[in-house]
Amino acid sequence: MDVLLNVAQGFGVALQPINLLYCFIGVFIGTLVGVLPGIGPISAMSLLLPVTLSGTPESGIIMMAGIYYGSMYGGSTTSILVNIPGEAASVVTCIDGHQMAKQGRAGPALGISALGSFIAGTFSLVALMLVAPSLASVAIAFGPAEYFSLMVLGLVVLTFLTQGSMAKALLMACIGIVLGLIGLDSITAQPRLTFGRMELIDGIGLVPVVMGLFGIAEVLINTEQVIKREVINAKITQLLPNKADWKASAGPVARGTILGFFLGILPGGGAVVASFASYALEKRLSPTPERFGNGAIEGVAGPESANNAAAGGAFIPLMTLGIPPNVVMALLLGAFVIHGLQPGPLLITQNPGLFWGIVASMYIGNLMLLVLNLPLIGMWVQLLKLPYNILFPLIILFTIIGVYCSSNNVFDVYVMIGFGVIGYFMRKLGYEPAPLVLAFVLGPMLENNLRKSLILSQGDLLTFVQRPISATCLALAVVLLVGPLLPSLRKKRELVALDEGA
Amino acid sequence: MSNDIKAQSKLNNSELWGGLIGLALGIFVIWSGIKLKIGSINDPGSGFVLFYTGLLMCVFAATIIVAAVTEGGPTFGSRWEGARWSKPLLIIGCLTAFSFALDTLGFLLSAIPLMVLLLRAIDPVRWSLTIPLAILAPLGVWWVLKRLLLIQLPSGIFEIG
Repeated sequence: MDVLLNVAQGFGVALQPINLLYCFIGVFIGTLVGVLPGIGPISAMSLLLPVTLSGTPESGIIMMAGIYYGSMYGGSTTSILVNIPGEAASVVTCIDGHQMAKQGRAGPALGISALGSFIAGTFSLVALMLVAPSLASVAIAFGPAEYFSLMVLGLVVLTFLTQGSMAKALLMACIGIVLGLIGLDSITAQPRLTFGRMELIDGIGLVPVVMGLFGIAEVLINTEQVIKREVINAKITQLLPNKADWKASAGPVARGTILGFFLGILPGGGAVVASFASYALEKRLSPTPERFGNGAIEGVAGPESANNAAAGGAFIPLMTLGIPPNVVMALLLGAFVIHGLQPGPLLITQNPGLFWGIVASMYIGNLMLLVLNLPLIGMWVQLLKLPYNILFPLIILFTIIGVYCSSNNVFDVYVMIGFGVIGYFMRKLGYEPAPLVLAFVLGPMLENNLRKSLILSQGDLLTFVQRPISATCLALAVVLLVGPLLPSLRKKRELVALDEGA
Repeated sequence: MSNDIKAQSKLNNSELWGGLIGLALGIFVIWSGIKLKIGSINDPGSGFVLFYTGLLMCVFAATIIVAAVTEGGPTFGSRWEGARWSKPLLIIGCLTAFSFALDTLGFLLSAIPLMVLLLRAIDPVRWSLTIPLAILAPLGVWWVLKRLLLIQLPSGIFEIG
């Protein structure tokens, strides 16, 4: 009963005209960046982070969340029609989605992708509604040791899942922690690594770092090659899948939804891993695995449902523990902090309107996305034809403006350009930026909780292993760190590891 | 990877250089941690986490270096093979020039030339489209920010914008 009352309160917030507008802007931009290869939800969210300042916290966060789950819908359009993933979570959709399009079945591929996403998105919201309040009440009992170990686990999972060498990913995570510690020490107020610059006293901003590493670096990498796109030009008809398509897709959608939701909750996991895991699962369960790669609708339905369910699941650790499980959620945490809010176990009780408003807006957003991605599909296909030599300069201009507006400070523009150049060379040398950014956000919290737990336990390191939750997290982290030394686990890691950045 | 593009413990082994940069950064972080005071285990100081993070950085960088020396790694040339490296270089140059000009010339006077350069540098857009786009995009953004969102962009020494 309580849940129903809370949901009603949430709809009261989400249905306010201004929040409906922000929700629409969010899902629209989300679909837009999902459709356009080269720009992902991370770039779009960091670009729009300053815009959230002008409205209420509800409006800003509703819009930011909309960009994230909206991009999951949009990404599949490009994968199916152009064979280029619109964003990282849609990489796997290219395999069978584009084959379906080539066989003249682009309509059902797009249809099942949007409908599967809708079902998964709705399920993950119901689960979020039911799980989050109970988890939040458990999380109140978490001490600094648990928080520290959970953050360590999150970072290790992300480095485990990052493409390429794990040593490189761990090095990136360490650099991220160091960058996050720049500025005044929160306990002693001593300036650290500021090099005498007043601009660094408050630390480096998240927006310039993310915009540089993901926005500018992405443009630099993309301009290196001539991007050729062969958009399927045939008229897209019959978007609704037929009976046989539904029969084949029902199982993959259900399994993808459940798998995606749980993988989304895991710290360090997320939509990319969920889509790959779902594809692998469907191929393994199929009586005709040879159809996969040749236009099997299950290969579209499963992963697309999984990445949307994961997008919903990822809100749980942020909303209940205050720990962002991936870079996108780290940006959302930034939006909360900008408004003076701290997500965590007390958010649901202290700000029920905000929490339930965001959840309710996601229901509405999912409905909006269904309309945007089915009847209006033609509009997105036209957008795919926008030339990159016009798009990239505009992206650069908007990143500069976005960064400047976040702090009204030219120094942040310098920081962004610097990180853009660093990000470019990092990618060229095979260093992924995702662990750096997550560690940058978690660094100050990680330090705070480590120092607090050491002070409280009077320097007893056993405090981390005597507490069951903390011990479990650390044990899992050790397994993941040592695991890649075993050839069988290394192979499995290489199979699931992916670039989260796009 | 073929042998001609894989350098083993040679100076153009990009993995080796990546590891060395990581090692140098790690040493710097350790030194910064010591300078800030590490403190003790029951009373960690401001440099405590920095010091231990620096140590971890050195360990991971050393792992990368060892792998680069024993297994070899791609050369710098192979990393940029087939890539139009002059394009990103040009954009980096434009952005650096823009960052120097922004405070002095202001947003409008620096963003318009930046847009012209970018539109012509990446894959040249025809002049008849470049000029209006380079003027209208920054002008439009400036108008929205200044008039609608009341955000003041740098106006520079000429106070334009």
